[in-house]
Amino acid sequence: MLNVISNFEINVALPVELYIIKNMKEDKIIANVRKCLYENIYENINLTSYEDQRLKVSTLIQSTVEYGEANSALVIGPRGSGKTTLVQDVLKEVTSKKSFIDNSFLVELNGLIHTNDNLALKSITRQMNLLNVVEGKVFGSFAENFAFLLASLKSGQKESSKSVIFILDEFDFFCAHHNQTLLYNLFDISQSAQTAICVLGITCRLDVMELLEKRIKSRFSHRQIFTFADTHSDENQLFEAQLKNVNELLTIAKSVKGLSTSYKNNWNKHIQDLMKNKQMKNIIQRLIDINIDKNCLKNFLTSVILNLQDDDAVLSVSQFQEQLELFERDEKVQVLKDLNVLELCLIIAMKHHTEIYVNQPMNFEMILTRYMKFANANSSIQSVQRPVIMKAFEHLQHSELIALVTTGGSKFQKEYQLFKLLATSKQIAEAVKLSPGLPTEVIQWANSSLI
Amino acid sequence: MDEGIMDYLKRVFPERGKQITELYNLIGRPDERYATSIFIYGGTSVGKTSITKSLLRKLNMKHAFVNLTECYSSKLLYENILNKLSDHKIDPLTGQPYAKCDNMMDFVYYLQEIHAEMNLDGSVIVLDRAEKLRSMEFNLLPVFLRFREICKINITVLFISELIFEKFYGRAGLVEPIRVHFPQYNKEELLNILSEDIHYARQAILNDFDELIDFDENFYRNYVNLFLSMFYRVCRDLSELRYMARINFVKYSEPIMNKETSIDDSMTLWRKVAPALKSSLEVLYLRIADDKTHSETAKQSSSSTFSKQNVARTLELPFYAKYLLIAAFLASYNPAKEDKRMFVKNHGKKVKSKSDIKKKSKVSEQLNTQLGPKPFTLDRLLAIFYSILDENIGFNNNLLVQLSSLVELQLLSSLSDNFVLDGRKYKCNVNFDFIQTISKMVGFNIRKYLSDFSHM
Repeated sequence: MLNVISNFEINVALPVELYIIKNMKEDKIIANVRKCLYENIYENINLTSYEDQRLKVSTLIQSTVEYGEANSALVIGPRGSGKTTLVQDVLKEVTSKKSFIDNSFLVELNGLIHTNDNLALKSITRQMNLLNVVEGKVFGSFAENFAFLLASLKSGQKESSKSVIFILDEFDFFCAHHNQTLLYNLFDISQSAQTAICVLGITCRLDVMELLEKRIKSRFSHRQIFTFADTHSDENQLFEAQLKNVNELLTIAKSVKGLSTSYKNNWNKHIQDLMKNKQMKNIIQRLIDINIDKNCLKNFLTSVILNLQDDDAVLSVSQFQEQLELFERDEKVQVLKDLNVLELCLIIAMKHHTEIYVNQPMNFEMILTRYMKFANANSSIQSVQRPVIMKAFEHLQHSELIALVTTGGSKFQKEYQLFKLLATSKQIAEAVKLSPGLPTEVIQWANSSLI
Repeated sequence: MDEGIMDYLKRVFPERGKQITELYNLIGRPDERYATSIFIYGGTSVGKTSITKSLLRKLNMKHAFVNLTECYSSKLLYENILNKLSDHKIDPLTGQPYAKCDNMMDFVYYLQEIHAEMNLDGSVIVLDRAEKLRSMEFNLLPVFLRFREICKINITVLFISELIFEKFYGRAGLVEPIRVHFPQYNKEELLNILSEDIHYARQAILNDFDELIDFDENFYRNYVNLFLSMFYRVCRDLSELRYMARINFVKYSEPIMNKETSIDDSMTLWRKVAPALKSSLEVLYLRIADDKTHSETAKQSSSSTFSKQNVARTLELPFYAKYLLIAAFLASYNPAKEDKRMFVKNHGKKVKSKSDIKKKSKVSEQLNTQLGPKPFTLDRLLAIFYSILDENIGFNNNLLVQLSSLVELQLLSSLSDNFVLDGRKYKCNVNFDFIQTISKMVGFNIRKYLSDFSHM
């Protein structure tokens, strides 16, 4: 008997220890893989398609820094096409040079942060290290203040004065500032070449020129640099480029430390095979059909990589497929699915109302009558009190499945406020189909308004 | 150690394993916190906030948890986040925040200052009730969605909201966050979660009867199952269900304590508790029996249920005020041109026209009682009042006082401004159930006088 027990103990003790050791080691590998892939996605900047634009921006800034020229330009491109990344990449290169450090300043403004000209001016002062110079001075106007800031950079001759690079991210928001004073002053100085400044605006609005006032437009150099994400002539080329891009992002570079060469080779070969898979190609095609935004791809790949948790996990087609399904999923259907039966019944009643009265708004009383008709016709539906139904109605309003139609004028009681339904009948039908355990009467009622 | 945290969380929050893992994978490892913004969404009481909070606390991460309902202005929001991230202790005497800050620029500047001092890399900002951001300054939402890019510190922003992200799209362009969905619990999951409440149930029995019955998990699970079969259809809100289940368990076990039934006789127990469950179904969410003890509520709910009718009954109005209210209701819900037919005794025979027949077949959506009250003048109210009141009373000041006290009680609302003395307009604020109870009390048949019902 005793023998058996001791035997048992030994048997248990060993594997646990082994398991822990094995687990830690494997965990490290997969953590390294994850880290490497994340770095690929988030930190690797791929600007191969923007060679031209990069050169333009670079020479523009260089000429200001080196020769004291005054310039202005706008970088225009859709959201997520890599405008800011492009400019930041150029700046990284330029600011590291000695000539820049010696005689230039970089001032970065963002339309989302610097929401008015005073804030922008404060920030400019701060970024040019002039706080102590300005202190105690009283300025009559914005232009005066600004001119003083620039003048204090000059020290007599043109050669020794410092040049300033202004980066205005979210440029379109600056156009909304009062009188566009900041823009006027910046462009005015850049045009009259008083000081060597370079004004570089970044915006996603293609109609940004229309936002500028006439006096400002005339002072702008009209140099525009466009970044359109992958300007490929036909769909096929776009697809190939995306496939290559995904492949690159998922490949582990040879220089990565902490992983054995054989592991890397195996991994990369697996990715190569994955990219040749027909289903995988379909998934990527589907993705670019929906959205070619870079952020979107980033999030998608991040969610896929999140699955890499187990010891010998690899990326599989099914994971991508699963993620695509999540990506394509209609969230409103999910919200509808999360409702309880009473709330879903109210939604169905609203659906019937909107169908019968062709998008006329409804109030609580109408929906209640319709629901009560249904509840009375089916004895299996438990009746609940009016306040409880009211509460369910309010919950629908809170989750913004219905929205108040503003009628204006005198205020109404809650029961008589007019609402409109914000879900389509297709979404409702989908939710009814997906909800498990719905009573059959409700399903039937959802399909036809006849009771 | 990390496994320990996960196991702990999964034990505390049953049925949320998938979401906990997902969140942990996103923010759990300090060197892998790459996601800029994470959007956590799902219905009420599905554990969004509590799971996020305990995960952050267990991981010992530097974080600022702010609720947007609490920080309703951007100044409060900025200062709150700065206080929390800088570990600033507010001196109760002066109440000074870390820094006075009312715009995004200063906020970013101060954050960078804090960062230089104590390294904020890998910290997290949690914005609970993020849907409120939409009604705040326009730049808050877009900036927080790409906070890392703008403040150049490795900070992750978590948004917690009951709405889907679709509802956040506005005029400013947004960067899509990574989404984590917390679905509502289904019946099976609710059963499992509520069954864990058994310790509480034992305690409740002990408090109420001073003795303990010995019941096992199965017994309690049976009860929860029974309870859910009634409540699940109208409510999936966990906290509400838990509250209701706890209240009603005492009633469920009462017959056993009184030695009326045995513990195994689930059929009888069900029969006995069904009325109590039904009555608490009626007061779902209303929390009316909050401060009473359980036994008291049991008595209460068996004799009468608290509903709108009761409000009408408990509201003690003078006799004339009741009639005034009825008259106001009639004036609000009847069209003025029908008054003659309703209230004049010999109004002559009316020739039925085609339009009258059409009117009778009105669909319910066009009924006046469904569309809400219409305004009426004081003259019309008084005319109806005198016509429905059998006795003849003089028009005097007392009557007018009652009218203004009805307005004071919010049963009527005055639509005209206060300085208008002539031809003031009113509207009746009570619903049909209420007025029916009132008219029953004075013995008045209101249906007879409503044009909506006159053809039925």
